[in-house]
Amino acid sequence: MPNKVSIWKLRNNNPLRKSHINNNIKLDEFDALVKITVEMSKYLYPYIREILQSKDTEKNSEIWIDFNKRFIDLINERFNVNSIRVKKLLNQTKNDEILIRSLLILSFCSSNKGYQKLKYFLSNF
Amino acid sequence: MIQNKLSFHQSSVILEIIGLPDYSNNENNDQISIISQWKLTIIDKPLIEGKIEHLGPIIDAFYIYSNLLINNDIPLYESNLIDIKAENLYVHNVVLKSSKPNVKPLIMKIGNSLLSDIINCFDQLNESSKVKIKKSKIINNIPKKARIRLNKKVKLFNFIVPPIISICSLILFSSSIIYFHNPLEDNEKNELINLD
Repeated sequence: MPNKVSIWKLRNNNPLRKSHINNNIKLDEFDALVKITVEMSKYLYPYIREILQSKDTEKNSEIWIDFNKRFIDLINERFNVNSIRVKKLLNQTKNDEILIRSLLILSFCSSNKGYQKLKYFLSNF
Repeated sequence: MIQNKLSFHQSSVILEIIGLPDYSNNENNDQISIISQWKLTIIDKPLIEGKIEHLGPIIDAFYIYSNLLINNDIPLYESNLIDIKAENLYVHNVVLKSSKPNVKPLIMKIGNSLLSDIINCFDQLNESSKVKIKKSKIINNIPKKARIRLNKKVKLFNFIVPPIISICSLILFSSSIIYFHNPLEDNEKNELINLD
């Protein structure tokens, strides 16, 4: 990954995005994205944990509501909201499961071996 | 003889390993190869400790359960030593069974945050060069499986598309967490301005 711009370009391979472009992502680029995600999850572990904990203790905590709202704002801004899969993500009452699972994947992969773990999780996603 | 003690911390969880180096293998004084005691302390929960031979199965149980939790709708792990079952999306019931007769099992409810802390403590132990234990089979098997599948390059495009969707979603997901950390946001804004 020479710079941030190349990462932003790679994000457009996601078919759920409004700006989806099929670039035939290479294997080493895929590995690089996995490594970046693991490094981000290490750095963000305290926040990920706080969000998970907020849901452990009370059903409608302020932290969780803020996080969910921010997530939905980002989806609305960047994803193709006409897609059925995106609509599922936007359903605030039913998206808890995918949010919790995604947060758990990130939190389980925040160790030095997280790169291999995340690859394993993704291969079974 | 003074024993070595190593602690692995992650937020509300501390894993302590006490033991001695194997001097017959010319190991350093600060290493632990012969474990005499281990303790898993979780804040606001009863202390977990057991025999040396129980440590490996307990670590494996948590790793297997965490994999099931990600990939399975009804995660459940049962063994002679430990049962872990999801009560719902947020709470997990852990039942630790004593090998001694007439001792009631220890029942605990843990949330996702504590489960993550426990997994991270076990990861630290597995990655530590100072503790020589038989590493968890589960964690050692994970990368091999993933690597073999990736290296085959058979129908690579079909294989790689779903993970790409997932990874892009996770990146988007992570970026929504950054919202909680203002300094980082500011740095990114500055970098964006520089790029422009």
